[in-house]
Amino acid sequence: MANVTGALVAKSLVLVAKKVEQNKDYLCELDGEVGDGDHGVSMTIGMRAVSRAAKDLPANCTPSEALQSAADAFADEVGATIGPLYEAAFAAAAESVKGKQTLNEIGDWAIVYRSMANAIQVLGKAQLGDKTLLDAFFPAVDHIQALATKGGDLQSALLSTAERALKAAKDTRNLVALKGRASRLGDRAKGHQDAGATSLAVVLKGFADGVKKG
Amino acid sequence: MKKLINDPFDMVEEMVEGYVAANDHIIKRVGKRSIARANSPIQGKVGIVVGGGSGHLPAFAGYVGKGMADGAAFGNVFASPPAKPVIEATLAVNGGAGVMYTYGNYQGDCINFDKAQDKCREMGIKVQTVVLNDDVLSAPKDQAHKRRGIGGLFLVWHVAGAKAEQMASLDEVVAVTNKANSNTRTVGVGLTSCIVPANGKPTFSLADDEIEIGLGIHGEPGIKRVKIRPIDSVIDEIMDAILADLDYKGSDVALLVNGLGGTPAEELYVVYRRVKQICDANKINIKFKHVGNQVTALEMQGTSVSLLRLDSEMHDLIKHTTVDTCMYKKV
Repeated sequence: MANVTGALVAKSLVLVAKKVEQNKDYLCELDGEVGDGDHGVSMTIGMRAVSRAAKDLPANCTPSEALQSAADAFADEVGATIGPLYEAAFAAAAESVKGKQTLNEIGDWAIVYRSMANAIQVLGKAQLGDKTLLDAFFPAVDHIQALATKGGDLQSALLSTAERALKAAKDTRNLVALKGRASRLGDRAKGHQDAGATSLAVVLKGFADGVKKG
Repeated sequence: MKKLINDPFDMVEEMVEGYVAANDHIIKRVGKRSIARANSPIQGKVGIVVGGGSGHLPAFAGYVGKGMADGAAFGNVFASPPAKPVIEATLAVNGGAGVMYTYGNYQGDCINFDKAQDKCREMGIKVQTVVLNDDVLSAPKDQAHKRRGIGGLFLVWHVAGAKAEQMASLDEVVAVTNKANSNTRTVGVGLTSCIVPANGKPTFSLADDEIEIGLGIHGEPGIKRVKIRPIDSVIDEIMDAILADLDYKGSDVALLVNGLGGTPAEELYVVYRRVKQICDANKINIKFKHVGNQVTALEMQGTSVSLLRLDSEMHDLIKHTTVDTCMYKKV
């Protein structure tokens, strides 16, 4: 079983950044269908900064410190809508596990993910079904919450949570956008997979792989 | 993709460095992504802070200087700046009379500028905001608050900057800016896509014989794609949409025929010719006009037409104020 220390959270953030960058073109393509085609670029710019900050963290940092450094780094590099949303999400995650030395329990990650999703909802004011990243995040949060109650292996829980998010991201094809640039398209946005929901699934997969590797 | 750049991810950083150096007689750098007039803060003058994503020059940073804006924040390409550079610009231009933020209506800009506004108010600075929404075809009239801000900002900021230059109070500058915004309408047409450098590919594709009416300045889809046809009839359609949204008949107006970046100036004058004919036919008196690339979308080809219905106050402000900014001058 992995010992998920602050250092491992930091390492996972580096991996999240790598995964996001690998998906840059795909995310831009999805965004270009209904938005302005730069989502993959914004996420890459933000996560590159997160990665740089994570590599600078001391080896004995706490999980909360690692997550807070991600919030600060993302906020300094990226504006747009996604900048403040991820800043708020990482900051809320940091706050939710303050004082913990490790995140070894499924329940720890359920708290982290729920805090992130809630912070995004408070700031972005989107509802479930508005075709935003929350449409991938909330199903994933419910999934990991159920697993936390049931108990089990952390690594496989994080992996199946990322898979749940990806499936939900794909399901956004059926939704009409009510937030963001795509919202001005009405029904024309139907049939397109939401880029923000997709990148959120990539982020969760990055965390899952990071913890697994550790 | 052929562009005059190094690493696409370094483009904005390198552009800002060059921009500040090339305009150091007018502006100074006040942060990594923020600039202010060289003589800021001007005691007793309302500071106007503008900004938005990069990729639209002369908008937005191009208008920092005498007669328009006092400070600006640069975002990444087509992405609003974070709150931090907005705060830096605010602190640099605050001369005690307060600061007005004005920018186009996009969710990202609203979130980040609002965040900056909250922080600056906590520091005791008076800050007010006017969000611009002139793009007629981006939402129906009964949902005008959802409309995007595009080329019309060039006309609105003329009025706002002139008022602030007269040392008016923050409330007065905000009031006249709101008035200008509510009397401004714009409709655009796009001929080609643009290429976000770090993306490397066209944002969308239009067939060789297709144009898109209502296309946004980041490549957001417009209301319809039609076959290319002689421009007069396209301008007729654009002007119909503008004149149907606000009653300009018999009014004095300020007018902008804007290029989106990739269209030759010659074509813009062909556009202006038709716009002038339509104004004449509707007894619309053009008191101020400008033809050129102002609010662009990288190398996108296309144009937008903006009309600002003037009252005597706005007429005098726009006519009688000298503008001397980094990328735009008016005597």
